[in-house]
Amino acid sequence: MKNPLIKRIPKELLGDWQKYLVIVIFMVLMIGFVSGMSVGRNSMLEAINTGKVTLKLEDGSFEFKNKASEELIEAIEQGNMADVREYLISKGYEEADGEVAKAAEEELSRQVREGIESAVRAQCELSGITDEDMIRSQINSFMEENYESSLEEARNSDEYREALDDAYREAHEEVVNAVDEKWDETVEEYNLNDPDFIPVQVTVYEHFFRNEDEDFDKDGVRDAAVRVFSSADEVDQASFNEGRAPENENEIAIDRMHASNVGVKIGDTIFVGGREFMVVGLLSYVNYTSLHENNNDLMFDAFGFNVAMVTPESFNQFRTRIHYSYAYFYEEKPEDKVAQAECADNLLKALITQSVVFENDLDDFLPECYRQASNFAPSDVEGDTAGTEILCYILIAVIAFIFAITISNTIEKEASVIGTMRASGYTKGELIAHYLATPVVVTLIGAAIGNVLGYTWFMDSAVNIYYETYSLPACDVVWSPLALVKTTVIPLLLMFLINLIVIVRKLQLSPLKFLRHDLRKSKRTKARRIPGWSFMNRFRLRILFQNIPNYVILIFGIVFVEVMLCFAFGLPDSLTHYGDHAPDMLFAKYQYVLMGTKDDDGNELVTSNEDAERFNSTSLLYEKNVTSFVKGRGSGGSTEAVTVYGIEDGSKYVEINTGLNDGEVYISSAFRDKFGFKTGDKITLSEEFANRSYEFTVTGFVDYEGGIAVFMPNESFIRVFDRKEGSFTGYFSNAEITDIDEKYFATVIDKDDIVKVTTQLMHSMGGFMVAAQYILVILAAALIFLLTKIIIERNEHSISMVKILGFKNSEISSLYMIPTAFIVILFTLIGFVAGYFILIYVFRAFMLQMDGWFTFYMSIKSMIMSVIFMIAGYAAVSVFDFIRIRKIPMDEALKNFE
Amino acid sequence: MSEQEKKFLEICDLKKSFGTGEAKQDVLRGMNFSVSKGEFCVLLGPSGSGKSTLLNIIGGIDTPDSGYVSINGDKLKDMDEKALTMYRRKHLGYVFQMYNLIPNLNVKENIEVGAYLSDNPLNVDEVIATLGLEDHKYKYPNQLSGGQQQRVSIGRAVVKNPDILMCDEPTGALDYKTSKEILGLIENCNQKFGNTVIMVTHNEAIKYMADHVIKLRDGVVRHNDINDKKIPASELEW
Repeated sequence: MKNPLIKRIPKELLGDWQKYLVIVIFMVLMIGFVSGMSVGRNSMLEAINTGKVTLKLEDGSFEFKNKASEELIEAIEQGNMADVREYLISKGYEEADGEVAKAAEEELSRQVREGIESAVRAQCELSGITDEDMIRSQINSFMEENYESSLEEARNSDEYREALDDAYREAHEEVVNAVDEKWDETVEEYNLNDPDFIPVQVTVYEHFFRNEDEDFDKDGVRDAAVRVFSSADEVDQASFNEGRAPENENEIAIDRMHASNVGVKIGDTIFVGGREFMVVGLLSYVNYTSLHENNNDLMFDAFGFNVAMVTPESFNQFRTRIHYSYAYFYEEKPEDKVAQAECADNLLKALITQSVVFENDLDDFLPECYRQASNFAPSDVEGDTAGTEILCYILIAVIAFIFAITISNTIEKEASVIGTMRASGYTKGELIAHYLATPVVVTLIGAAIGNVLGYTWFMDSAVNIYYETYSLPACDVVWSPLALVKTTVIPLLLMFLINLIVIVRKLQLSPLKFLRHDLRKSKRTKARRIPGWSFMNRFRLRILFQNIPNYVILIFGIVFVEVMLCFAFGLPDSLTHYGDHAPDMLFAKYQYVLMGTKDDDGNELVTSNEDAERFNSTSLLYEKNVTSFVKGRGSGGSTEAVTVYGIEDGSKYVEINTGLNDGEVYISSAFRDKFGFKTGDKITLSEEFANRSYEFTVTGFVDYEGGIAVFMPNESFIRVFDRKEGSFTGYFSNAEITDIDEKYFATVIDKDDIVKVTTQLMHSMGGFMVAAQYILVILAAALIFLLTKIIIERNEHSISMVKILGFKNSEISSLYMIPTAFIVILFTLIGFVAGYFILIYVFRAFMLQMDGWFTFYMSIKSMIMSVIFMIAGYAAVSVFDFIRIRKIPMDEALKNFE
Repeated sequence: MSEQEKKFLEICDLKKSFGTGEAKQDVLRGMNFSVSKGEFCVLLGPSGSGKSTLLNIIGGIDTPDSGYVSINGDKLKDMDEKALTMYRRKHLGYVFQMYNLIPNLNVKENIEVGAYLSDNPLNVDEVIATLGLEDHKYKYPNQLSGGQQQRVSIGRAVVKNPDILMCDEPTGALDYKTSKEILGLIENCNQKFGNTVIMVTHNEAIKYMADHVIKLRDGVVRHNDINDKKIPASELEW
């Protein structure tokens, strides 16, 4: 026979359908969302990972200042470190030999001339010729006739050869001594004596690009930077979401995300590098799934940065300089991240030494595993679900506790029935199973519907969120058993375990105790003492004490939602605040970093712009040394890129004390705030590609929030970094520099560069945050609805009784609703304060993992709104509560307990 | 009737007290008697005489301080909680003063709650008919009068076909007429299904319908009488 208690379950569900409907909707939305995110994520990751193979994603890349010779590429492919000593010596020999030969030749010429002259003078003296003009004429005539033959004779003389050999030997010795004198420094700089060095063999492919200006609205003003690649590239290829690859020199294919953001469609024309192109394809480059222009950018920028493909012929027609970038592939793939790091380290040594030997400058080296543009999106896609899963589980746990409280109340209400059933022979297990069934069934219904929606509607939405943010390839749904576990098994387990614990504890009592309604484990001998307030207030306080478990859950829910509200209001605020202050964050409206200080003809790059002021800069790394509790995405490394500026005396752009000693620096306020530096602190910065570090003392601060930067007088800079006198890196200027050809600019930093992080974040998350604000209020309202319903239901009998006694509905409502209102308002305020400070801390911890600096900010309006939203949610619920209290009939108190 | 059947239920030197020290109250002070199989036994006594405590100990939902209860030769004190549950499940049916029905199950379903526990339950519809509840079998408890609810509660206990039907003041909350109807039903079940009935009551009149009357006072058995002249419940007067 089937257990007849099973029949109670549908009746229970239908009997209290409003409550269960709210819970099921809640669960469907949460589970559906997590399931959708999870399936979307897995499908997307699968598409990304497949793309890495089919589109030949590099293992890393490096860039030389000049095009690498075939010999250099061959040497790199072998992976060996070059013999730098040998090179330095042979280069020294070469230079020394030239100098010796030149000096010897000059000396020989002088001696031959002198020999001829003295011989002619002696001959004249013998002949009695004393007239100096005659003698001079004789010398010239003799010199003309015999100089070359005499020189040749002298050259062939043993004496000369011996002298020359001696000179060479001496010069060579000097070269060797000079190299050896500096050898220890060189060895340390390039870490040449690394005993762990193992050559890493790679295959190298050309992957050149140019950085051009893009003008998509054709108004003659630069709208974005575009990195242009050739369609002939064999590696780091693109998948086409729409359209095709360019086929002639007037066609271009551009990144789909950028195109979508700026409203460019296939068939539109845009200007790139001053040339007009027709957009024929929207693509997603496998190495640019997020549009990070530079690897140390805090955020990608799909508005201000674009990647594009043109035909090889078209590529060659641009005027800007070619970036000689090369992609490499390991012959033997490193198995894990440690091995990847070791391989990259060894390869870098080979690159540095070979570039020295082949006289090329290594401008960039980036192993794929550190590449933001290809790792940011997958790591974000991966990280997203972890966050939403935790949120989902917290909410399921909250619902589980709501169930547990409901069931506790039901058990109390049904105590005598339970006592009778236990007395009749029902086992504890049967009753536990019975009371567990409802939450489990509700969770199963929620999970089933949630999963169906997860695989369809939510999955599409999740994928769309990714597509709205990243340049990802098209993907197909991938069935994920793990997603099923996360969205069904874990919520079920949570619901099961939390309720099991509560029900088992509740049913521990003997049947007799149930029959007697004696459900307290420990007997309270005295009533709780309460202050001598008015009767109504004491009554309210009793209600509060009576419902402590409900209020505990309510408080947890309110604080949780309020913290989330702080985030939903605070993030857009922080972005807007940062964006609004961006113009103030620049020292100058434009910061031009030059490729070199001379143009193609060897003339110094100068400008007639009166606003322009020279500066020096270099990029160093600061070891963060932070204990991470938030594993960073993006660069997420242990080092922070720091720009070090050398500032001219009396600079009108950056105010620092020019009387600083070497090693004394000012730092930007962002640098100070991020790492908490004070005046007098020491900062150690190191070079990225050489084992050299510098220690500086913080002497002051420059009010600059736009970057992590160090400032020192230009003279100090030149000494510290061993630059030539008069060298400079670029110009600060408030007016645009128009008299230097843009091909000499390495980068130009303006306001758009500073705000691109906030623009992108606002685009990716702004809408989501506004939606989140409303969803959170609904969530809070639903939570308050469920819990106040439980409180009122539990007190139906008392409410009915006080009605009989003559209390008015308004008085009763004030009795039962004011304690809840008090709790809601008090803990909304506490939750807000907690949320505000938690987010400041979390933001800080998060930003410590990232490059750059950006603080949490909430406007007064948002602060007030986050509290008002919650209270408005409660106000809506209290209307239902009032109606509910009014509807309780007076005969409730007169009924028998069943 | 065999000797074992005569001592189907045996109470031996049963003692039970509540509280400690000065507040200690001896509720059962060495109680001895036995009940034969199929007997209608009434435990009679005033409030505080220990009759409900005795019933609870017999039912295995309370434990004595000393002495024992044996049913069909099995001593309850030798059973652990699980075995006691199984004992109640297989051998006992309970009827309380308050009906303790499950509010969101109808009459038939409430009776099925009892039937589910038994390996050889009676036919649910037959029990409903016996109890005169055919017209109400799909009604919920809150749609029934007190007497009707108590019928359902008797049905829930009887449908298990228990060896012993334990009734704790089953008419305590009912009026005279309804009480007689309920007593008649219990009598009817006793005769029809042969269950041993142990009924706790303070109503002296009920003793006339019993086979066996045990009067308790101050925790001891004052009278232990076999009633040779029992009358039907319908003829009881009080």
